[in-house]
Amino acid sequence: MPPDPMPRTEIMESNWTPAERAEFSRRRRGRNYLLLAALGAFALLIYAIALVKLHEYGQMW
Amino acid sequence: MNLPAKNATSMGPSILAPSLGATAGDWFTLLKPRVLTLVVFTGAIGLIIAPAHLNPFLALTAILCITVAAGAAGAINMWYDRDIDAIMRRTAARPIPAGRISPEGGLAFGVVLAILSVLVMLIATNWVAALTLAISIAFYVFIYTVWLKRLTPQNIVIGGAAGAFPPVIGWAAATGSITLLPILLFAIIFFWTPPHFWALSLYATGDYERAGVPMLPVVKGARHTRVCIMVYTLLLLPVTLAPYMLGLAGTFYGASALLLGGLFIYYSWRVLADAQDSRGNSLTQNKPARLAFRYSILYLFLLFGACALDRLI
Repeated sequence: MPPDPMPRTEIMESNWTPAERAEFSRRRRGRNYLLLAALGAFALLIYAIALVKLHEYGQMW
Repeated sequence: MNLPAKNATSMGPSILAPSLGATAGDWFTLLKPRVLTLVVFTGAIGLIIAPAHLNPFLALTAILCITVAAGAAGAINMWYDRDIDAIMRRTAARPIPAGRISPEGGLAFGVVLAILSVLVMLIATNWVAALTLAISIAFYVFIYTVWLKRLTPQNIVIGGAAGAFPPVIGWAAATGSITLLPILLFAIIFFWTPPHFWALSLYATGDYERAGVPMLPVVKGARHTRVCIMVYTLLLLPVTLAPYMLGLAGTFYGASALLLGGLFIYYSWRVLADAQDSRGNSLTQNKPARLAFRYSILYLFLLFGACALDRLI
C-alpha cells in the first residue's frame, strides 16, 4: 500500500501531563453531550414530523 | 482523474502536532457554517415564493434538511480535499488537516448526515424534494469536488451549480414539483457563482497555486479572470430580469434586479479597470476584487429578498 499522504496524529496518552489529560476528558465529555443532544433532537424531530403529518394529512405518506 | 495536489508533501507543522482530540466546535466547523447562511436563505426563499401551503413545522424541517445536506457535502469535501487544505494558508487550520479529526471520522460524519438529511426530507415533504436534495449532494461531491475542482479552470462554472439547488429544493418541498421560476432562480445562482468566486480567487491566487488547484487566475492569469468576471456579470443581468420579463415576478423585483445588477456591473468594471502591472496583477492589493466579492454576497441576499418581498406585496 502507498504511504498515507496525510500523516496521522498520534495520541499518546502515556506522555500527557495532568493538564492535557484533563483537557482531553473535557473535550470527550463535550463531544458525548453533543452526540446525546443530537440523537435526542433527531428522535424528537421524527416524532414531531409524524404527529404533524398525521394531524395535517391523516397519513404519513 | 487528475489529482496533482494529492502528491503534495509539504505539510504544515500543525499536522504533526499531538492532538487532544476534537472539540464539538471542530465537528461543527466540518459543516462549513459560513457557507450555510446563503444556502439557508435561498432555500427559504424557494419555500416562501412557492404557490402552495406547507405546514410551518414541515417547512422548517425542509430548511433544516437543506442546511444539513449542504453541511454534509462540505464535510465530505473537507475529507477529500484534506491534502490541499493542508497546503493552503486559508484552510490549513481546518480540523482534518490539523489532525484534530481523523479523515475516516470526517467522511463518516458527512455520509451519515447526507443520508439522514435526504431521508428526513422524504418523510417530511415529498420524493421530488428528497431526490433533488440527493442530486445536489452528489453533484457537489462527485462532479465538483472529485472531478472538476482539480481538473479544469472552469471548475467553478459547472461545479457552482451545486450551490444553485437550494431554492429549487425549497420550491419542490412546498409544491412537489419543479416549474420555470425555481429553474430561473437556479440559473441566477449558477451565473452569479463564477464572478463571486473568481473575485475571491484573484486575491487568493497564491494559495491555489501552491495547492495545484487550477483556478482561473492561476491557469489563465489575472487579466483574463477580470474579463471573465465582467462577462459573467453582464450575462447575469438578463437572467435576473427573466422572471420579470416572463411575468413570473412583479415590478418591484424587476426594478430591484435592474438596480442591483447595475451595481454589480459597476463593481466588476472596477475589477476590470484596476491598476495592473504588465501581467495583469493588481497594484492596489486587489481592493476592487475584495469589494466586488463582498458586494456579490450582499447582491444575492438582496435579490432573493426582493423576489420574496415582491411575492408578499
